[in-house]
Amino acid sequence: MTFKNLQIQPESLPKVEDLILRPISKSYFKIITLNKLAIYAGLIGLAFGVVYFVEKNEEVQLNLWYILSILLGFCIVNFIIGYLAFKNRKYAIREHDVVYAKGLIVHSLITMPMSRIQHVEESRSWLARHFGLSTLKIFTAGESGSDLSIKGLPRIEAKQIKEIISARLNGSN
Amino acid sequence: MEATNFSQPLRQSSKGIIIIFAFNAVQFIKKFFVLFIAFGVSFMRRQSFGGITPTMIILGLIAIMLIILIIAILKYLNFKFHLSKDDFHLATGIINKDNTIIPKTKIQNVYIKQNFLQQLINVVSVKIETAGDKKSEIEISALDKPTALLLKKKLFLKAAIENTPLEQHEKRNVFFKISPKRLFLEGVSQNHFKSFLLIFAFIFGLYSEFQQYLEELKIEERIEDIVQLDEDTLFNLLLTNIVILILVVLVSFLFSIIKTFIINFNLEVVEHQKTIEINKGLFNKVSLSLTPSRIQNLVIKTNRLKQYFNLHSLSVKQAMVNAKQQKNFKIVALEKEQLNYLTNKLLTHYNSEIESAKPRPYFMRISALKMLIFGGVVNIITLGLIGVELLWINAVFIPIAMLYVYIGYKKAYYKITDHFITIGSGIIDTTTNILEIHKIQAIKLKQTVFQKRQQISSVIIYTASKSVTIPYINEKDALHIYNFLLYKVESQDKDWM
Repeated sequence: MTFKNLQIQPESLPKVEDLILRPISKSYFKIITLNKLAIYAGLIGLAFGVVYFVEKNEEVQLNLWYILSILLGFCIVNFIIGYLAFKNRKYAIREHDVVYAKGLIVHSLITMPMSRIQHVEESRSWLARHFGLSTLKIFTAGESGSDLSIKGLPRIEAKQIKEIISARLNGSN
Repeated sequence: MEATNFSQPLRQSSKGIIIIFAFNAVQFIKKFFVLFIAFGVSFMRRQSFGGITPTMIILGLIAIMLIILIIAILKYLNFKFHLSKDDFHLATGIINKDNTIIPKTKIQNVYIKQNFLQQLINVVSVKIETAGDKKSEIEISALDKPTALLLKKKLFLKAAIENTPLEQHEKRNVFFKISPKRLFLEGVSQNHFKSFLLIFAFIFGLYSEFQQYLEELKIEERIEDIVQLDEDTLFNLLLTNIVILILVVLVSFLFSIIKTFIINFNLEVVEHQKTIEINKGLFNKVSLSLTPSRIQNLVIKTNRLKQYFNLHSLSVKQAMVNAKQQKNFKIVALEKEQLNYLTNKLLTHYNSEIESAKPRPYFMRISALKMLIFGGVVNIITLGLIGVELLWINAVFIPIAMLYVYIGYKKAYYKITDHFITIGSGIIDTTTNILEIHKIQAIKLKQTVFQKRQQISSVIIYTASKSVTIPYINEKDALHIYNFLLYKVESQDKDWM
């Protein structure tokens, strides 16, 4: 039942589980927060609007505070999960591959060998520019699910990583 | 006809005008189909349309056809290709001149196809696919067959020359040719569920309208004599339902068989020294060649019934081949030995004679949960639509669901050797996925919070053509596999294509 038939001792292989992953920039959480706040502000506004119109037209009494507290509860839970998930966003660059971990409820750890990378891209959204962050996108020839996008890297770091990978790409080809 | 010299700019066979004309005409009709209908309807109603007489319409149509014909001739005259030492050149365009040059080394695949019209006038089309963009395909739509074959050979020749000194007469070793009997069996033993669903959706649309009509009738009947008919009509309705169901099943059965026949008619696998060639099709004849180095995954499918008839199908997944083309790389109705031989030809030194490992029984729990949700939704819907009477269906559904879960688990396994990963799965079908380790593009480890407590995780392996999953194994094994595969990919300097 167990994993057998290895000529190499599994203990001697480089272990991904021992790797110390680097967290992404803390200020990326601000971006997450801002995005979420915008969504919740919209939702709360919507709730007010709905209650206002419904009460005007019909006799049905909607309890505004009820709705608001549900929304608020949702918001808090979402933030806690969001924060914990943010803590799980980590990455590492090894000599031969790029490792990226993310997700709280569904945790995933993806590794992309350098020799399979097709190209690297650094992109910055309007908000990210204000915090000095960038997103690093790494593409393989594989299907879209296997492409990496490491969000919330400090700009300088993203640049450096991009350069490292580019150098590797050009060196090997 | 003397051997064609490709070094001079060449036109297609003059029959190409017909092909281009037909193609453009069909496209034109497709584009303006709605307009035609609208126009036609209003014309039928009023007998005339703004003072236009039928003769004018016919004249107009003839004029349009003439224009299309002229365009076709011009296109034909301006379509020239030739081969230089290392490149394929193509010049097209009536007003905007395009000049395309493809280095021979960048050519991925050359397909030879023949649709119905092309079969009638005895020409073939040659499609050249490059590794780059999905759009960058070139099609020469009318060449006579010997020229096409020669062109294909010449295109591949330069690319392969460093490996094989050219053999003048490569022997055509027809390795596998399908017999009508086996093709029929293949059609019969197919998963009819898919064609059933297709036809069911179609008929359901018709039926629901028909049913409304029926119900109206029934209400009238009821008004006429309230006392008598209640049970009878219910029985009748049930009977018509059953008859319709049987009809649908029969039709879908026929549909599968005919579809299999048309697609795989005269399927032939020809073995060359390096490559394998597949020829098949009734209305659309295709001829494809497979190069082992481009293969990313092999998928072998069979089912209980097919196993009994010794029928196996082999799909070859290549990198950067569009989905429509991908479907053609399927060889059906192979015998076991033929399958093994082909697998060995495509993947050198493939061996799977090691003990297979299985996912954790947790697998069953997840699929049971999925079944439960599915069953729950179905139950709620039937309860809402029909009522409590139909809940007895659960007596049938539950055992099937349990069997489904159990078989799904039983068929799931994985094997990892030094060079290959083999993953088995399937419920009705038995699917075997084989890939070479050095074709891996990325690896992902996936784990939910609930799985974390039980130390279970899944490994997803991405290649350039598809991803495969080793589901729900021990976390420790998963990490071993993860590290091992990475080590293998990174330590060998093997290219994935």
